[in-house]
Amino acid sequence: MAPIDLDIRIVPPREKHPTIFRTFDALAPGEAFTLINDHDPFPLRHQFEATRAGTFSWTYVENGPAVWRVRIEKSN
Amino acid sequence: MPLALSSAAAPGQPLAALDRACRGRGLDGVELVIDAPADLDAQVAAVHASGARVLALRVATLAVADAPALAAASARLGVPASIPPDAIALAALPALADVFARAGGRLLLGQRTHVGEMAALAGAIGVSGDLASLGIAWELRPTTERLDDAGAIIFAAGERLGLVRLHGGGPEQRAQDGRGLGPLLADLALSRYAGPIVLCPSAPAQLPRWDAWLTAEGVTACGNGQDPHRLDVDVRDVEPRDRLATILGAYHALGPGATLHLTVDHDPSCMRYTLEATEPAGSFEFRTVLHGPEVWRAEVTRR
Repeated sequence: MAPIDLDIRIVPPREKHPTIFRTFDALAPGEAFTLINDHDPFPLRHQFEATRAGTFSWTYVENGPAVWRVRIEKSN
Repeated sequence: MPLALSSAAAPGQPLAALDRACRGRGLDGVELVIDAPADLDAQVAAVHASGARVLALRVATLAVADAPALAAASARLGVPASIPPDAIALAALPALADVFARAGGRLLLGQRTHVGEMAALAGAIGVSGDLASLGIAWELRPTTERLDDAGAIIFAAGERLGLVRLHGGGPEQRAQDGRGLGPLLADLALSRYAGPIVLCPSAPAQLPRWDAWLTAEGVTACGNGQDPHRLDVDVRDVEPRDRLATILGAYHALGPGATLHLTVDHDPSCMRYTLEATEPAGSFEFRTVLHGPEVWRAEVTRR
């Protein structure tokens, strides 16, 4: 099965974070998606910590300088 | 899911320059728009010589007589070739499918955002050829099309969806805000779409903006620094990738008691969470004073 890749670079500014949470919330436990962005999305990680603590894992797959990829998995 | 740039965004640019611009933007490759199908062999050779990463081919029209050359180019480059909606008669589909199947290429038929038409095209492809030689290129225009049926469209296209051409991304992105592109892209990701998404200019009049976007440098300056107690920063015209650095730079430029007046086009909660996580507790006060839906304003006072 192909991976779930969400390229947030092409999502318009005010739809970015709602789109990310919509994708995450649709995952089954144990599923993951890869977030692709043009900057380090660490503010988003703080938002995840504040609103979905303990339900996700956050792993950098690619760390710039032009593209960042983060694997976000929904915990079992 | 690679992200590509259509060469229509930079007409007349040599392929190598286009490829460089893509790398600067972190894009994965180029959709090569072919104006003259006559000298396709030379163009394929030029692609190979340039080392550019070409992810798809595009022609504006396709005469049946030109199909073998296009199919051969598609096969030699190992990428699909797309044509606009209604560029061919559906009656020609079985013959075209045969040409592309023999050559080992793949033809993608353009389809606008319309669930009934998408389902009909997917059905026509289903009876005319195999998925390896035929597929669909979704021509997506978020500023002029209704995107409500996106989930049904993605489902109707299924595995036939080989390309998504996003008209008006890149420097035109702000015009797409609030039109439903976010939920659509979430659905597309969740459907495990793995093909390319191609950024295309929405109209020739937009080309100067694309030129500036493709040649832009990195982080922009922050704030104005005139009044030591007040810093006004409007990041709506700052590119998303540079916003965080702009906002944090402005925050760290504040003296004690000074306030950052921030104007953004999205909910700034992420900024508050970031400051809460990275700054000492009680070192700032964060107030959201205008709550969208198009513009948000926040005031951050440093203690």
